Amino acid sequence: MNEIIIRLKRFYENHKIITILIGSILLLLMPVIFPKSYIMGIICRILLYMILAGGLNVINGYSSQFCIGYAGFFCIGAYTEAILAVKLKINFWLLLPVAGIFTAVAGLLLCLPTLKLKGKYLALVTLGFSEIVRLVALNWSSLTGGPMGLKGIPVPRIFGIQFKSSLSYYYIFLLLVVVFLFVTRRVINSRIGRAWMSIREDEQAARSLGVDTYKYKALNFMYGAFWAGIAGAAYAPYTRYIDSTFFTLDEGFNILSMVIIGGMGTLVGPMAGSVVVNFLTELLRPISEYRMVAYAILIIAMMWLRPQGLFGASNSILAGRKINKKIRKAKKEVAA
Amino acid sequence: MEYLLNQLVNGISQGAIYALMAIGYSVVVGVTGLITFTHGEVIMIGAFASFYIFQFFGNNLILGIAASFIASWLIGMFIYYVCYDRFFEAPSHISLICTIGASMLIKNLAQIYFGPNQKPMLNIIDNKVFRIGVLQISLIQIVILVTVIVLAGILAFFINNTRWGIMLRTVSQDKKAAYLMGVNVRRTAMIGNCIGCGLAGIAGMLISIYYQTLQATMGGPLGMKAFSSSVLGGLTDTRFSALGGLAIGLIENLGITISTASFRDIFAFGFLIAVLIIRPEGFASKKGARP
Repeated sequence: MNEIIIRLKRFYENHKIITILIGSILLLLMPVIFPKSYIMGIICRILLYMILAGGLNVINGYSSQFCIGYAGFFCIGAYTEAILAVKLKINFWLLLPVAGIFTAVAGLLLCLPTLKLKGKYLALVTLGFSEIVRLVALNWSSLTGGPMGLKGIPVPRIFGIQFKSSLSYYYIFLLLVVVFLFVTRRVINSRIGRAWMSIREDEQAARSLGVDTYKYKALNFMYGAFWAGIAGAAYAPYTRYIDSTFFTLDEGFNILSMVIIGGMGTLVGPMAGSVVVNFLTELLRPISEYRMVAYAILIIAMMWLRPQGLFGASNSILAGRKINKKIRKAKKEVAA
Repeated sequence: MEYLLNQLVNGISQGAIYALMAIGYSVVVGVTGLITFTHGEVIMIGAFASFYIFQFFGNNLILGIAASFIASWLIGMFIYYVCYDRFFEAPSHISLICTIGASMLIKNLAQIYFGPNQKPMLNIIDNKVFRIGVLQISLIQIVILVTVIVLAGILAFFINNTRWGIMLRTVSQDKKAAYLMGVNVRRTAMIGNCIGCGLAGIAGMLISIYYQTLQATMGGPLGMKAFSSSVLGGLTDTRFSALGGLAIGLIENLGITISTASFRDIFAFGFLIAVLIIRPEGFASKKGARP
């Protein structure tokens, strides 16, 4: 597995321009290659989950705060967009950043009191937060439509083009994924990203070296929540109908498993995870009942065989026992 | 006032069930040192085991308790070998994901084999209601309270006074030191995990008798309740976990009195987050304790 990845990387580095060119042409022509809206629907879902899994990866993979209730942020973003678009008729393109910022503020509010909490406790608080958000959305009937959901969310339009079907909506998702990858890559390679990674590897050491861990952890939470809000805001007009059943805890676990299967701590990992998981769920559709069973077995097998995920950062603390082996080997070499 | 008092009784009996789940949960977390999301599924398996026993062998509460205990013990062994045995030294998120996978596996298999619909639980205990002044307390509630107290007493005796209990405590305090003292850490961890799961199974039976229904998907929210009650008690302390379970049951039922029943879980989780903000390690946090 490692060898294949290394070979792929080497191929990409040798033929950088050609691969990027061919890849982008293929991505742009996707609706022409697959004119069926069913297949494009799957591809749209893959792109949507790419943003979600990527955003969760920023929280879980880069600063190792364990957030499980990511569906709560997704829910906030989607409902913000839907409510403002249906009740106040605000333009979609304005609402996209508004929903993102609103969700980031929610993330800040959640993490401010919880910065002291570690590991298990933080995981539980995010879980409770996600449930509370969903229950509020379910029960606040006057604002969110309650169990009936919100109907008739207006589709986005620009220059007279209406993004009505998944064939055209594909371009919005593609644009968002490209923006996400570009921005996140810049952030990760900056001072902020290095601070996050130092917190992941050893928080006390980071603090002793002068990293303001509270500030960077809060920033990390906000950044992850921001992209969940963007994804939610893009998702609501895509289905044109949302209700609280989209945002259950299982949805959060689903996103989390994409991050885990793809690999935490790299940019490629969650993208690959999203492709693999969504593709598999479509592939396993014929065995309808046993679909989730097969999926669960896949997750367990993944953890047994390759705990850092398909494309995970194998040189970090996330890789588990293997890193211990490596350290032991290095110690032996030093001793010898 | 009368309504409030009766709600208090309901809260205590529901809190007792949560307390039993939370005791099981804290035993599991104590011996394995890793949190689990399979607890809800174990509760569901216990409820279904007792359901089938009641269906085939008639109304025998003791037999039902034994059946749910054994069934969830077996599930606990399965969970131990899938999720914990290999991962004691790995970072904790790996086994966490494994438990999420295992819970999905058990839940979906249960949906296939037990059917996805709600089933009515058989009428095991007569629905007799006793009145003490304005208080109303049903026979089911009394049976639940007695069962929980007896089980908690047995567990306390087991943990404090027997050789196995001492081994369990050493493992939950320090695995390496226990290993040096000649304790078989892996086997003890497995037995502790299975005891916790068995208690959860009995709690599942009690809650399905209390609500008179059971379903293959009932585990999720109950597991969350067990998790949050146990976190309230500091995750590894059984006594404080029981207290946390009682508190959550009470808060839920008192919260319902001032609003509608659909806000039940909001009260539970809101209370939990509020407590965690004030005391980051639950009720049981001690100064100078090891993290």
